[in-house]
Amino acid sequence: MLKRRASGFLRTDKIAALFTKVGKTYDVAGEICRKVQELLQQAEGRKYQPAAQESLKRQTSTTNKPPSLSPQAIKHIWVRTALIERVLDKIVQYLVDNNGKYYEKEALLADPVCGPILACLLVGPCALDYTKLKTADHFWTDPSADELVQRHRIHGTHSRQDSPSKRPALGIRKRHSSGSMSEDRFAASARDYVESLHQNSRTHLLYGKNNVLVQPKDDMEAIPGYLSLHQSSDSLTLKWTPNQLMNGTLGDSELEKSIYWDYALIVPFSQIVCIHCHQQPERGGTLVLVSQDGIQRPPLHFPPGGHLLAFLSCLENGLLPRGQLEPPLWSQQGKGKVFPKLRKRNSHNRSMDVEEMPSVMETATDYVFRIIYPGHRHENTASRSASVDDDEEEEDKLHAMLSMICNRNLTDSKRMKDINDVTEMQGFGAGVFSWQLDHCNQGSLCLSCSTGGSPYNFSSCCTCIHDRTPLKMLCESMKRQIVSRAFYGWLAYCRHLSTVRTHLSALVNHSIIPPDKPTSAAGGLTKEVWSKYQKDKKNYKELELLRRVYYGGVQHEIRKEVWPFLLGHYKFGMNKKEMELVDEGIAHRYQKVMTEWKACEVVVKLREKESQTATKFSSGSSIDSHVQRLIHRDSTISNDVFISVDEMDSVDRELKVQEDQSLTRVCLDAPTVVVAVDQQQSVEFDSPDSGLPSSRNYSVTSGILSSIDDGQSICFEDGTEEETGPEPQRPDLDHVSPTKGLAPPGFVMEEQPSSQTDCKAAAEESISVCSAAYTIEMLDTVALNLHRIDKDVQRCDRNYWYFTAENLEKLRNIMCSYVWEHLEVGYVQGMCDLLAPLMVILDKDELAYSCFTHLMKRMSQNFPNGGAMDTHFANMRSLIQILDSELFELMHQNGDYTHFYFCYRWFLLDFKRELLYEDVFTVWEVIWAAKYISSEHFVLFIALALVESYREIIRDNNMDFTDIIKFFNEMAEHHNAQEILKIARDLVCKEIFMHQHVCLFTPFWPH
Amino acid sequence: MAGAERRGGGIPETREHLFKVLVIGELGVGKTSIIKRYVHQLFSQHYRATIGVDFALKVLNWDTRTLVRLQLWDIAGQERFGNMTRVYYKEAVGAFVVFDVTRGSTFEAVSKWKHDLDSKVLLPNGTPIPAILLANKCDQKKESSQNPSPSQMNQFCKEGGFAGWFETSAKDNINIDEAARFLVENILANLKAFPNEENDVDKLKLDLNPLKAESKSQCC
Repeated sequence: MLKRRASGFLRTDKIAALFTKVGKTYDVAGEICRKVQELLQQAEGRKYQPAAQESLKRQTSTTNKPPSLSPQAIKHIWVRTALIERVLDKIVQYLVDNNGKYYEKEALLADPVCGPILACLLVGPCALDYTKLKTADHFWTDPSADELVQRHRIHGTHSRQDSPSKRPALGIRKRHSSGSMSEDRFAASARDYVESLHQNSRTHLLYGKNNVLVQPKDDMEAIPGYLSLHQSSDSLTLKWTPNQLMNGTLGDSELEKSIYWDYALIVPFSQIVCIHCHQQPERGGTLVLVSQDGIQRPPLHFPPGGHLLAFLSCLENGLLPRGQLEPPLWSQQGKGKVFPKLRKRNSHNRSMDVEEMPSVMETATDYVFRIIYPGHRHENTASRSASVDDDEEEEDKLHAMLSMICNRNLTDSKRMKDINDVTEMQGFGAGVFSWQLDHCNQGSLCLSCSTGGSPYNFSSCCTCIHDRTPLKMLCESMKRQIVSRAFYGWLAYCRHLSTVRTHLSALVNHSIIPPDKPTSAAGGLTKEVWSKYQKDKKNYKELELLRRVYYGGVQHEIRKEVWPFLLGHYKFGMNKKEMELVDEGIAHRYQKVMTEWKACEVVVKLREKESQTATKFSSGSSIDSHVQRLIHRDSTISNDVFISVDEMDSVDRELKVQEDQSLTRVCLDAPTVVVAVDQQQSVEFDSPDSGLPSSRNYSVTSGILSSIDDGQSICFEDGTEEETGPEPQRPDLDHVSPTKGLAPPGFVMEEQPSSQTDCKAAAEESISVCSAAYTIEMLDTVALNLHRIDKDVQRCDRNYWYFTAENLEKLRNIMCSYVWEHLEVGYVQGMCDLLAPLMVILDKDELAYSCFTHLMKRMSQNFPNGGAMDTHFANMRSLIQILDSELFELMHQNGDYTHFYFCYRWFLLDFKRELLYEDVFTVWEVIWAAKYISSEHFVLFIALALVESYREIIRDNNMDFTDIIKFFNEMAEHHNAQEILKIARDLVCKEIFMHQHVCLFTPFWPH
Repeated sequence: MAGAERRGGGIPETREHLFKVLVIGELGVGKTSIIKRYVHQLFSQHYRATIGVDFALKVLNWDTRTLVRLQLWDIAGQERFGNMTRVYYKEAVGAFVVFDVTRGSTFEAVSKWKHDLDSKVLLPNGTPIPAILLANKCDQKKESSQNPSPSQMNQFCKEGGFAGWFETSAKDNINIDEAARFLVENILANLKAFPNEENDVDKLKLDLNPLKAESKSQCC
């Protein structure tokens, strides 16, 4: 379309020429010219520079420049650069404006319509920011929980084989040690190969270590790379990949063409017969793999620090069950695997027992391990072993095993050759193996001592069969071992099951009420069923209603009516009158409690105001005084962050000793109190995190109460909370007055003061009277709890429509009432979350209060003083261990988070934070009904269902504690609640089945 | 939990660090707000109370060669369940201890939090992890005379083992970036002073005790 002007343009690169030309007159284009030159120079230079320097340059260059340029990018470098710099539209506009200079008349750009349109069209693309181009780094960033789930869905639809998650584990810490797939064949692109070094469901990554040095060629320096060991169902493969390929710093095209691919190693262990290790203290270890054909692979040099041993240990595990290292590594208690101790064998010393020969034991720094496959060998030499066995009259059961052992001891020529090869190749012919050859030369009938045993002691290799007596003994001993092993296996199994039984038998009901009898309960508790029940309360079975709730939830419209039954506020079968009676009782109690704590709150608020005023008189704020105090006595600070109750107690006790035993109440108008107050002042007393002045402050300020000239601060009226800002409005006395009679003894409430001037007097009077009812300790506790409640009420689900200021006030009243009745536990964060859904459904203070109290009978056990949380965790542990041992194993291995702390919030709040409100309603109903239908601990099965429904994601991403807690935090409110409930219900059945099995198979096991 | 380093060809290129940073302090002092402000540049009065722990990740282009990823652990202010904080604290390399300048008692609790922190987590070399004291809600601070002087705060930090302190406001976005920067500087300095050998070791969680070579032995 574009026609170049005949003159002045180079033939080879039209675009370059055009840009250069324009650049001469137009600054913006000139800038692009400069940038492109720079880029091209870099691209040129890169060819001759080591990759690392190149990537260094990339880092120092500005983000606008791409890290590396593919041929495609180079081809379009001018347009690309202009686009990235977001000036392409300006340049084109310039071209359009000056088309006469650069274009023929018939060119598109010269067209009076098309030209400007093209320029305008480019404005859009140039408005985009291309600086966040996907670079190699993006490959490593943690995907969000959503993305993980998405990936799983995409992969999950295919067969399991195609579902490797192509990512390393979530934390970069684990980058090299875990992750995604491993595949032997070269993947289509080089990048796929690098990714393949990670773990997937098909192959296990047994070992990974970075910066293992290999010298790929004689004339080269050793280069570092990533060594990994992969196990698939039928093979074990070692890979070593130069860092240059691992780093992801090369562009795709470079990566594929890189010379480093020639250096990379892929070694199937089926080809390897021998491993040589050379250990040098302080300098790490070197490992040489030798193939069947005698070819040595380039030495792998491990950095110091036991990596070589670690590798061997992993290799040994990987070879199992068919293959093994010979000699095997030794297990040493407390140390794990260690190198076998070498004992040089002399011809006169044939004893195989290492224990007898401590004096000749030596530690070696060089080892030869052979890889042997006993089972495999058996087939090759079956005839021979059979003949050996025929001579013996041993039981058939031992036959196979015996022949296996014998085979190992009877060398074949091929193996012998290997040894010789090794010896020759390494030029150590006269060294280690000389004695072995001696043995061979002796022409011993059994070659086991030499070839089978290699230079090391190994009991099973050394069972020389020189005559039949040892063989018979061997068989006897094996028989014993097999029987005892079988016995211990059985014992362990029984113990395990016994644990299961004791742990879990109480979790589920003995029989589950089925979903389909008498009718299907899948529809849940509908309006129709409910009205049927209401008409015929006496005959309608409670269990039938609960069954419907358990299998299908409650229809939303009738939740308000049903929940009080489910929570135990009403009993099923109650008639209207009985229900009214219950309501009356509750309303009465609620009013009484409200009066009590509101009266106390008044006093608490008064104290607060006073101390605030008082601090104005003393120089500096409370923080200031705290600083000074802390600086001067920081050694005496209580060491325990979380328990300061003792401190309080001791102070209190001191007080009590000073005073009459019976006088635990502090009466401010009594002269004795002055003494008490003084006493207390001398005690360093810190009210823990109360957010309110300590009692010391109170004591001080009460002394100067009369000097306070601030009537407002102690006014009882609404709306005087100028300093507390958004907090809910405080109660007025209208609420309190009618129920005055219910106040604690000695409590006399003043009528509401009519004017501001009366406030002070009234307050003074009321504080002196009110205070008489409360101990200072109690006031502190109440103040602390009120503060916490206020903090949490204010931020309780504010994005949910229900929680308006008015309803938050209700929430606060109910919460304060509950806490007032349970001051010994007090308010604990999370309680608001439990009350909130009840409020939403019931929308009536008294009812919500009553239902919350019922709910908390179970839930309060989860809070710190209850102890149920530990039980939940222990049960989770047992359940996962039994129902999904694979996942349990993974949790155990990845830093061991079988403490199940990631379920904490689930249990504390009955999954309230994990689900959307609509789902919370359903899940809660099911939990409440489950107690009668399937299990009192249904929450456990929901938790289990949550874990199980994401088990593949957890497993494939090899999650550790941080990963999993992060994952579930991000998944909050994204779960499919119906699905989770279904899984949970099924799991209960599964558990019952397992439990019954346990009973069946271990009838004689003591409980 | 010092970050992984990727090396190429022996010449260090981009270093990438992942640092686990704790944010602790009394209930309602604004821990979540500070984190949301720092990571998402948002402020709300209505963040829900944290139960257990929340996470946020902040990526810092520290310099041209260093990428720092801060994994911020927002730990509930009233988390008292047994051993759980110990698990939360594990492998942390830095901490913010937050208090509310409008509430003296939250400042008092600072020392307790700090002590709890030091008793439950240490750097690999056995020293306490760097901790920064944040005096949050400074936008609501009352008259200046009511607050401790900077020198008093400095002394408090010195005696309390804090690396430093900042007056912050999540609401008005005051000093939060600065405080984080200061903490990262401390963490990086620790890393330099005690290069973490575990970078390699933690690839493999086996208990390894290489044998001492007691005598020269023949080679294979």
